[in-house]
Amino acid sequence: MTVTFKPASPIWCSGCGHYGAESALKQSLGNLAIAPHDAMVLAGIGCSGFIQNYIGSYGYHALHGRVLPTATGVAAGNPALTVIAAGGDGDGYAIGCGHLMHTFRRNPSLLYIVMNNGTYGLTKGQPSPTAVGRVDHEHELDAVYLGLTIPGTTFLARGFVGQMNQLVDLVDSALTHVRDKRGFAFLEVISPCVTYNDNFASWRGMLTNVDADDSYDCENRTTVIGNYAELIAGGKVPSGLIYQGSASTFEEATGLSAENPPALQDLSVTKHIDAYRRQMDMHAI
Amino acid sequence: MRTPAPVGSDAGEGLASPAVQETVSDINVMVAGRGGDGSLTIVTLLSRLLSKRGFHMCSTRDVASRIKGGHAAAMLRGSLQPRWSLGDHLDVVVGFDEQTLIEAAPLLRPGSVVIYDSSLGEPNPADIPEGVRLYTVPFGRMAVRDLRRELFKNSFSFGLIARVLNVEDSEAIAILSAHVQRFSEDMAQANIDALKEGFGFATELGLEEGAGPLPIQKSEHKKRLLMSGNHAAAFGFLAAGGRFYAGYPITPATDVMDWLRPRLPEFGGVLVQAEDELAAINLATGASMAGVRAMTATSGPGLTLMLEGVGNLGATELPLVIIDTQRSGPSTGMPTKPEQSDFDTLIYGGHGEFPHIVLAPCDQEDCFDISFQATNLSQRLQCPVFLALDQGIGQNSVTMEPFELESLEIDKGKRLSEEEVAAMEAYKRYEITDDGISPWAIPGTPGGMNLTTGNEHDEWGLVSTRAANRELMMDKRSRKIDLAHDLMPKARRGGVEGASIGILSVGMVCGVVREAVERLMQQGLDIEILEPRTIWPVLDETKNFISSRDRTYIVEMNHEGQLAGIITGQGVAAEKIHSIRKVNGTPFGPGELVKEVQQREGAHDRNV
Repeated sequence: MTVTFKPASPIWCSGCGHYGAESALKQSLGNLAIAPHDAMVLAGIGCSGFIQNYIGSYGYHALHGRVLPTATGVAAGNPALTVIAAGGDGDGYAIGCGHLMHTFRRNPSLLYIVMNNGTYGLTKGQPSPTAVGRVDHEHELDAVYLGLTIPGTTFLARGFVGQMNQLVDLVDSALTHVRDKRGFAFLEVISPCVTYNDNFASWRGMLTNVDADDSYDCENRTTVIGNYAELIAGGKVPSGLIYQGSASTFEEATGLSAENPPALQDLSVTKHIDAYRRQMDMHAI
Repeated sequence: MRTPAPVGSDAGEGLASPAVQETVSDINVMVAGRGGDGSLTIVTLLSRLLSKRGFHMCSTRDVASRIKGGHAAAMLRGSLQPRWSLGDHLDVVVGFDEQTLIEAAPLLRPGSVVIYDSSLGEPNPADIPEGVRLYTVPFGRMAVRDLRRELFKNSFSFGLIARVLNVEDSEAIAILSAHVQRFSEDMAQANIDALKEGFGFATELGLEEGAGPLPIQKSEHKKRLLMSGNHAAAFGFLAAGGRFYAGYPITPATDVMDWLRPRLPEFGGVLVQAEDELAAINLATGASMAGVRAMTATSGPGLTLMLEGVGNLGATELPLVIIDTQRSGPSTGMPTKPEQSDFDTLIYGGHGEFPHIVLAPCDQEDCFDISFQATNLSQRLQCPVFLALDQGIGQNSVTMEPFELESLEIDKGKRLSEEEVAAMEAYKRYEITDDGISPWAIPGTPGGMNLTTGNEHDEWGLVSTRAANRELMMDKRSRKIDLAHDLMPKARRGGVEGASIGILSVGMVCGVVREAVERLMQQGLDIEILEPRTIWPVLDETKNFISSRDRTYIVEMNHEGQLAGIITGQGVAAEKIHSIRKVNGTPFGPGELVKEVQQREGAHDRNV
């Protein structure tokens, strides 16, 4: 066996929610028997941006806010890989928010886990776009709600590191969605920062688990939006598998297949020389 | 009244006197009007005509940045000698509006022909220089009256142009027939009829068949390509195994994306139009990391946005080809106008220090080769490679020889196969090696798991801030370039070998320099030309070229003399360099450059 890197020890504070997110991801990779060499974990900048160092798969540390386009590039380059993007709320909802909307539109088959703690932990506690009531005149962003309004979203979920069984189930479902090439799976994980924004208790009071409601239909976007609006109007935050549906995917639109990844093609000029000549002839005069 | 220039390939053709009927081997044509007047169609027909006559072509367009309406001009130079820029004068002008005449007037000379659409009124005599032959034709009105479609005025006016160029009617009909064969039969016939009406009208104006005032020469037709540099660079990338492109539309680089968009999927690749340049370079980075040969293209404003991503490629040691088709800056600048003012950004841009390469083509044909080499180099050295194009090289089309595909070879560098990884005791993504290049396993390879990061890292890819590790890694990365100078594309040379005066340029300036030097040599001034195709790192051949002679003119399209500064920054004596710069949005002309060098040489002689 070829020796590869030894996963590092987490830098996170003891009690940090991110341990829960990391643990759920590892369990799911095991549950679905995904080999370390078949998965790539890409993470952004911030405390959450260290998660790829602890998994043992292929890992990449993206530029701040750019984890989604990079992950989409990997998924396009080799659709046979299981691509997992991860990051925090500052990375995903502030500096990288534009990419989130366009990734919703593009619908590539990859999983994006946002570890939402409402703060910039690594730079010592500045408020993030999901910080509630900490910045005058600025309202918090709800990315799941945003995702519901964009046609083409196919998987929107919210988990909580305080409810690990459900979180593992959600990661399992999200990875299955992605590996079935159904499109982009978006999972926000409420992952409190014990040092700068320790709000485990308040989240417990706010989160309302839609998975526990038998009458909830996660495939009907219209009723999902109605339910969601009612819950947040009542001061609650929906959790669980909020929405799952079907829409054309990035892979379908670009003709990508796991059987013939762009990364593994025979590029020799000899093989393609006739096709190149035909291209040249189009410019002949 | 301006007299014909004393020197020049497009001078001395006997054009000054209508009585002298020498044949023309170098002709400059401008067709202009309101955008949408069809100037490009006429130029396309003329290109085919001239090509059949064995002429080389160089065509440019000057379109205001709007879709339709506004003034638009298409310009074409046809010459038996290959040329890469327009000449100093216009021989034929076809104008559909007054603006055309105002813009063309300074470039007209006695003997030039102006064909003017008088549908909207007769031209102002003050706009027509003395000695210019003027033919006014109510194209628009006649096309609507006799042909019931203004659209046919292109075919109609082509009839007049053919007569001016002394082309036989049958030859012009054959050219138009080939052009309209994709149309419906009715439409094709209507165009041919319009052409014949054009012949008839020409006769009325005294332009009989076989008696044209500017009879063009005939040489053997040779199959060539007519391509812009943007397209040739896109093709070079494809041929080098490029299979992923991500980009955001930006003038004048968008043609790269437009060319690749239908083609990449055909070759098993992918093109993504990104939401912005930040996404574009990171999409391409992701695909590159997955093991696909990837490219992005942009221009100044987008380049600035991409710089963080370029530094990241340097730190993570990932390959990428980045085209910068430079335009006038700073900020939004003049988006459709040429400039070469991004060299400093390409070389010194981005924070921190990282290995990268900047190549610059010397003409459109070279774009194919240099893009092919850039793609290979990026893989071999695992670093970003810039292609510094400019609006002129990128968007002007010239004729070129068909590319030699047989000799092309894909360089896989140190990419590892599954078997090679399995045979290794340990796999370290950033292993310290003599040449600085580490073996590379792509995701999906069993046993090749690694961490790729823009943080400083150890050989495994784990984050490290240890001082000793930092030194090793900085040395390793810079070694990749320091030891690879031999792999970089070498300069093209011209003029008189060993002359005491040198002239150096890149991109769209090269073609103008070639023509100017040809004229200067005819006047007895010996000059040697260097067209460095690698501008970063600065190669010894560039330094030696300047150091080994009295003085070298560096001609570039920017205000600050960036190229000169970059070269002197590498230890070349500044007093050996004479900088010639232009930054007004128009390209250098060959005559202009000749004059500039003459003046400076004169001043030099007086000072000596």
